[in-house]
Amino acid sequence: MKKRTNKFKNSKKKGEFPIVIDQLEQSVKDQLHDEANLIFKKINVQNKNILIFYISYLIDKKRLDDNLFTPLLYSETEWSTSNLVDNLPIGDGKQYQTVEEVCSQIISGSVGVYIENENEIVTFSILNNQQRPLEKPERESIVIGPQAAFSESLETNLNVVRASIKSNELVAEKFTIGSRLPTEVRLTYLKSLANDEDVQTMRQRLNDLVVDDIEDSSVLSQYLEDSSISIFPQFYLTERVDRFNYSISKGKIGVLSDGSPEGIVAPTTFFGFFESTEDVYFRWNIATFFRMLRFIAMFISFILTPIYVAVVTFHYEILPISLLETLGQSRSKVPFSPVLEVLFLELIIELLREAGARLPTKVGQTIGIVGGIVLGQAAVDAGLTSNVLIIVIAMSALASFTAPSYLMGSAIRVIRYPLIIVAGLFGIIGVTFGLCLLIIHLLKMTSLGRPYFLPVYPFVFKDLDNSLIRLPFGISNKRSISYRLKDDTRYKEKKSTKKKDIDDLGD
Amino acid sequence: MTWGISMDINVAVKPGIRIRAFYLFFIIANIQNGTGIMGVPRYIYKEAKQDSWVSILIAGLFIHIVVFVMFQILNKYENTDIFGIQVDLFGNWVGKILGTIFITYVFGSLLTVLINYIQVVQVFIFPTLSRWMITILLLLIVTYAVLGGLRVAVGVAFIFFILSIWLVIFLYKPMTLTDFGHFKPLLEASPKELLLGAKATSYSFLGLEILFFIYPFIDNKKKAQLPTQIGIATTTFIILLVTGISIGFFGGDTLEQAIWPVLILYKLIEYTLIERFDIIVVSQWMMVIIPIMILLSWMITYGVKRLYKISQKKTLFVVILLLLICGGTIKNQYTIETIIDYVAQIGFWIVIIYPLILYPLVLIKKKTNKNKEGES
Repeated sequence: MKKRTNKFKNSKKKGEFPIVIDQLEQSVKDQLHDEANLIFKKINVQNKNILIFYISYLIDKKRLDDNLFTPLLYSETEWSTSNLVDNLPIGDGKQYQTVEEVCSQIISGSVGVYIENENEIVTFSILNNQQRPLEKPERESIVIGPQAAFSESLETNLNVVRASIKSNELVAEKFTIGSRLPTEVRLTYLKSLANDEDVQTMRQRLNDLVVDDIEDSSVLSQYLEDSSISIFPQFYLTERVDRFNYSISKGKIGVLSDGSPEGIVAPTTFFGFFESTEDVYFRWNIATFFRMLRFIAMFISFILTPIYVAVVTFHYEILPISLLETLGQSRSKVPFSPVLEVLFLELIIELLREAGARLPTKVGQTIGIVGGIVLGQAAVDAGLTSNVLIIVIAMSALASFTAPSYLMGSAIRVIRYPLIIVAGLFGIIGVTFGLCLLIIHLLKMTSLGRPYFLPVYPFVFKDLDNSLIRLPFGISNKRSISYRLKDDTRYKEKKSTKKKDIDDLGD
Repeated sequence: MTWGISMDINVAVKPGIRIRAFYLFFIIANIQNGTGIMGVPRYIYKEAKQDSWVSILIAGLFIHIVVFVMFQILNKYENTDIFGIQVDLFGNWVGKILGTIFITYVFGSLLTVLINYIQVVQVFIFPTLSRWMITILLLLIVTYAVLGGLRVAVGVAFIFFILSIWLVIFLYKPMTLTDFGHFKPLLEASPKELLLGAKATSYSFLGLEILFFIYPFIDNKKKAQLPTQIGIATTTFIILLVTGISIGFFGGDTLEQAIWPVLILYKLIEYTLIERFDIIVVSQWMMVIIPIMILLSWMITYGVKRLYKISQKKTLFVVILLLLICGGTIKNQYTIETIIDYVAQIGFWIVIIYPLILYPLVLIKKKTNKNKEGES
């Protein structure tokens, strides 16, 4: 509240009441810069002049009529400020002494009521919030499991989070961020689980953040992240309600901001970005396989094209003669060096992706087909690229899309380019160089002050479960111990029952 | 405390930058199996011929004892490193001079790793690529990692060890081609030859000295000895493995000609998709030597900070600059081998023999200290 009124600081001091109704009307108008839909209603009940004012498109008109006007007009009692708050059938009544404070309430969907010659103005919040209903997740789709995505309304988002985490341990601390255009931000975590230090770090970062406004959660997360130089996202941005809730219930910290359909989850590890909630819904062995598949896919995605460049440019002696022959034949017509050839084709793929993302869904599909089949074939026929490269590029592009996090997928696609260039310059030595640098970079990174490469380094054997692999629920009875949660036991381990023989004959 | 005017004997280490003891295994196994391992079979074979394996076992056993002694020395103090011990024993001046010699030796060791790898890359992959370029690439990585401090250095050692240990598995192929006739006649070498052979392994065992640097940073010191000893055992095993395979595969005369017999072993390996496995091995070897260079560079920066209170960043940039110049200019295979030879000789005395001399001195010092305390 304090921050909001800050912008009105330079206007008049308080103590201007009591005031004549017309004068009040004028000063409200001045304060709100003659907003066209600002409506004033003067009524006279029981010999008292009452002024009611509101912005018509911000409020719920039905509630205004039913809960404010009707009781006000047909009441037999004499109205005063205090019994307004107590007797009207609207919950959210507040009293203010300055016009500035009242106006800041009016613009967030309140209706102001002033009884002439009283000392305070009463406001009631009857905001008519326009919001879209919960929809299916578009950016992080999974096959099985709950299908709900956050919407743009913070209230709805908090509603769905509370609906699934039914515990009074769930804290949702309120912050107001943005000095010019304030946005409400909520810091959510489980009090009995989340590490206090982490919560404090996040709270500190939110408190210290001084910006004029934040556009979206993704912008907020960039302000809050540990390192802004790195290409890798350090907080997980999710639109999935179930993923957000799952993280909270595992002791992580979530941040929701008003007007954004995405929640921030912190701290997150590098391996966490390859974790899909689907892994939890699948059986453990299948989930482990898929998770491994994603790691391999990521590796393929950024190593395959650089290796191709290195081998074709410098180390063709690695290839067996039969393969070398086909490769040579298909490359014989290509006028470019391998690096340029790869960069050219990678660029086409990136263009297709970008175009597919920007175009309306129906056109996008067509572009995909046109680009994929027609363009690729034509490029080979025209002698611009080799057949082998088309396969290599397609594979690495496909692999990069398996990352459940779109941000991580994009990061991987981008780091391919420097790798391709060093591979073109230094061959396979360059590729190793790039990989070394990449791993060291990941080792140096932190997320909310926790190592980014957990649980591989610092090595925590027990945490390999639920990060690199997934074990059956019967075995994994611990939460991640590397985050130092308040309670890391999910349930007591079952006492091992008597070992069974092949055929149990009974006693 | 007359000896500690300008330098504290014990090191205060914040809990945040401490490392757990089990990483010592990876640190030791990584720092030892880098440069030496590529050529060690030849050196041992020169001395002990087909009985080289006995030499390696002797050397391994000896190193285990040395490590034990090193821990005995370190355990006598609360939380210190070699610099603190030397200053405690020999006073401020002599202690600092000895410390400087130690650091100079570490730099020499670091230099051999760099120039040897550049040479290997030039011979096996890029005969024409400028040495300066390779040096710059390597030093970029080293600088970037050392700037992250010990935590990152240890992490690199840990992860890169796991990422490159698979290379050993591929030795199964030359192993199948071993001719056991090359090991006969058994136990022909004289004890002197065996000992000389054992000494020839010393370059491969160097790196041990990191224990003297890293000890204050270890979190659970009581558990530190076991991972270190296992690391030494791993090194011994790997040296034994490659030497055995080299002798069995090459036989005497060819082995004495080969500079890097281990890399040549990888040349034999062929798969349907990969015909020259050695190229992959040599490029992968970067992941083997990078942690060594990082750890050694960190040791130098840390040592200089301990002795002269110079900021680690400054030292790092000086070290990197020196390495750049040396790496770019030292070209001759003969020069490189001479440098390695010197470092191996000095390393043998400083790393392997010196702790054995230090131990009785520490014991005497502690005893006289106790007596003094008792008197007063």
